[in-house]
Amino acid sequence: MILGDLLGTPVFDDDGGRLGRVADVRFVLAGTPHQLMAEPRLLGLIVGPHSAASFLGYERNGLTRPHLIARFLQWRHRGSFLVLWEDVALVGARSVRLRPGFTRYSAALENEEKA
Amino acid sequence: MTSAPAPLPRVQHVAGRILDAQLHLMDRQVLDHDGVPVTTVDDLEVSGPALDEDIEPGSPAPVLTALLTGSVLGTRIFGGRPPSSRLIRIPWQDVAEVGVVVKLGVKGEPLDASWVERWVRDKIIARIPGGRHDPR
Repeated sequence: MILGDLLGTPVFDDDGGRLGRVADVRFVLAGTPHQLMAEPRLLGLIVGPHSAASFLGYERNGLTRPHLIARFLQWRHRGSFLVLWEDVALVGARSVRLRPGFTRYSAALENEEKA
Repeated sequence: MTSAPAPLPRVQHVAGRILDAQLHLMDRQVLDHDGVPVTTVDDLEVSGPALDEDIEPGSPAPVLTALLTGSVLGTRIFGGRPPSSRLIRIPWQDVAEVGVVVKLGVKGEPLDASWVERWVRDKIIARIPGGRHDPR
């Protein structure tokens, strides 16, 4: 599957309620180890309720400068959340459906500084 | 005025570095192990899931298998994407480091991704007088 096809796809909950669009796809370097880097395993999808894509990731990295741009982009991407792969029920050509009782996680990149 | 929503819970600590596809990989420049530019990351290929098929609970998560590159200027402007067969794959096994740029652990010369540059060098530049040696 080509990842670009998934980005921007509308996301729905089990009842058909629209939650937003796939703004990004999160991987974790925890797959099969290779000689150079481990295989990135899909951790989950970042869903943006207000925009089809994320720009510069201000809603995820906590940066606050330049102040005006940071405030605007954080507002633009407000409500973004991460949904884990375990909560994805179906990936279609035009929609993604989540499992009943899925959990919304914070989309913040907390591990970035520790890596 | 409405009150601010409660903060969402954070994912339990996962072992391994986190990479967001658009934020950390897409549109990054790709350098080979000598620091020579090879291409840019235009798209990514993952091992699954199958489209429009229910995902069984507990099924293993797909993995990123390759960086994709190709002639995407037209589709970037007019929409869509080139057919999968027209995209050139750089297998993830060749990737050595992801930072401001994506560094490969192999030489860029034999990769399919640099065929246009090789073709221009061999068919055009080499036929210009003096084009077969370094400038002095």
